[in-house]
Amino acid sequence: MLKKLQLKKHALTGISFMLPLVVASGLLIAIGNIFGGNPDVITNYKESYTIWQAAVTLGVYGMSLLPGVMGAAIAYSIADRPGIAPGLLMGMIAQNMGAGFLGGMLGGYLAGYFVELLKNHLKVPKWAQGLMPMMIIPLISSIVIGLIMFFVIGGPIAWLSEALKNVLMNMQTGSKGVFGAVMGAMAAFDFGGPVNKVASLFADGLLMDGVYGPEAVKICASMIPPFGVALSWVIRRSRYTKSETDNIKIAFPMGICMITEGVIPIAAVDPIRVILSCSIGSAVGGALIMILNVGSMVPSGGMFIVPAMINPWGFMLALTVGTIITALLLVILKKDAKQEEAVVLDAEEEEVDLSEIKIS
Amino acid sequence: MKIVGIAACTSGIAHTYIAKEKLVTAAKELGHEAHIETQGTIGTEDELTAQQIKDADVVIIAADIKVGGKDRFQGKRIVEVPTHIAIKSPKALLNKIEEEIKK
Repeated sequence: MLKKLQLKKHALTGISFMLPLVVASGLLIAIGNIFGGNPDVITNYKESYTIWQAAVTLGVYGMSLLPGVMGAAIAYSIADRPGIAPGLLMGMIAQNMGAGFLGGMLGGYLAGYFVELLKNHLKVPKWAQGLMPMMIIPLISSIVIGLIMFFVIGGPIAWLSEALKNVLMNMQTGSKGVFGAVMGAMAAFDFGGPVNKVASLFADGLLMDGVYGPEAVKICASMIPPFGVALSWVIRRSRYTKSETDNIKIAFPMGICMITEGVIPIAAVDPIRVILSCSIGSAVGGALIMILNVGSMVPSGGMFIVPAMINPWGFMLALTVGTIITALLLVILKKDAKQEEAVVLDAEEEEVDLSEIKIS
Repeated sequence: MKIVGIAACTSGIAHTYIAKEKLVTAAKELGHEAHIETQGTIGTEDELTAQQIKDADVVIIAADIKVGGKDRFQGKRIVEVPTHIAIKSPKALLNKIEEEIKK
């Protein structure tokens, strides 16, 4: 049943629609703050304002659209086009009630499934068929789910979001370090796989609610594995075969762009040692990020967005330390590669359970 | 087999294209013909033509998110998998599909 609902796919569709918006908005805020010296958001357009104020204001507008876009995209993923209007509205409710990201997601799910229900079960006479997508579905779903959002679930979610935010904002140095370490290890653990996505989703959610640390942890932990592997190759080349070396040369520039996946071919050959080294390095990096109060308003972009971060030098320090630890662990743990292994690399396909695949 | 398909991932900048590459290469090595359309953040690239779809024995959708234009595949046999399966074991996937189709 849960599998049939495809909750994860809808959430990922939401994230996928939201990413360009959040990158643009986050960078606008960061650029405005850096060059304009933290200018105020424009509140009165009758008075004069600077270009940096305009940048920050536009970024803030963009950020406030996020729950709406999230809700709309999730509802679209579930119910196709008719989901967009009600999903957008539910996200706006969430945004204004302070239920943020969680509320936007939940609103999107509810709106999407409700629209799907209406599409499949509400029968109207032939003359009213044209009214279905244009009036009946958007109106009824907005009223029903809107009422639920306003009067039933909006309040508790707003409270929950606020509580979560408070816990994270008021953490002491020790728990900050632990939190950063766990996030970092999770983000690096499977190089962009499901565990990474959980950490990533969490960081993106907090970003929308104005907590910027976890996002910086995510960025740092996504870059430590490729950087660490590359550094370990520089230190001790004999640890890698010829074809692994080729892969590392691709993985490093990908790492600069915050794409961790280049490390997968290296990890596939020697998973335990590589994953262990990368996770430990990233955990240390993550802990440092949180302790040094580094933050990022931008969820992706790799090295290019480091100048736009809160405390960029702290970020560089965490990244460097994490990279060195990962590299040293790799050098110590890994054995010298047997060069003839390169021949079997073509058969590097992983065993994946294909039994669930259905052809319809 | 003649294969058409769509690849799409969450961030739409990396996995989408890796999945396409892996599927096309694996298909070639196994003696199949594959055309894969990418639906990345930049939009749709290498859009499938009506002829390619008409000729295809099977449609592979390797996606983590909702893909557009599924109505083009009406009446076709469709396989839906997450991108990581196409990336990690494209050949096993193709072999499995071939086996199922022959049944």
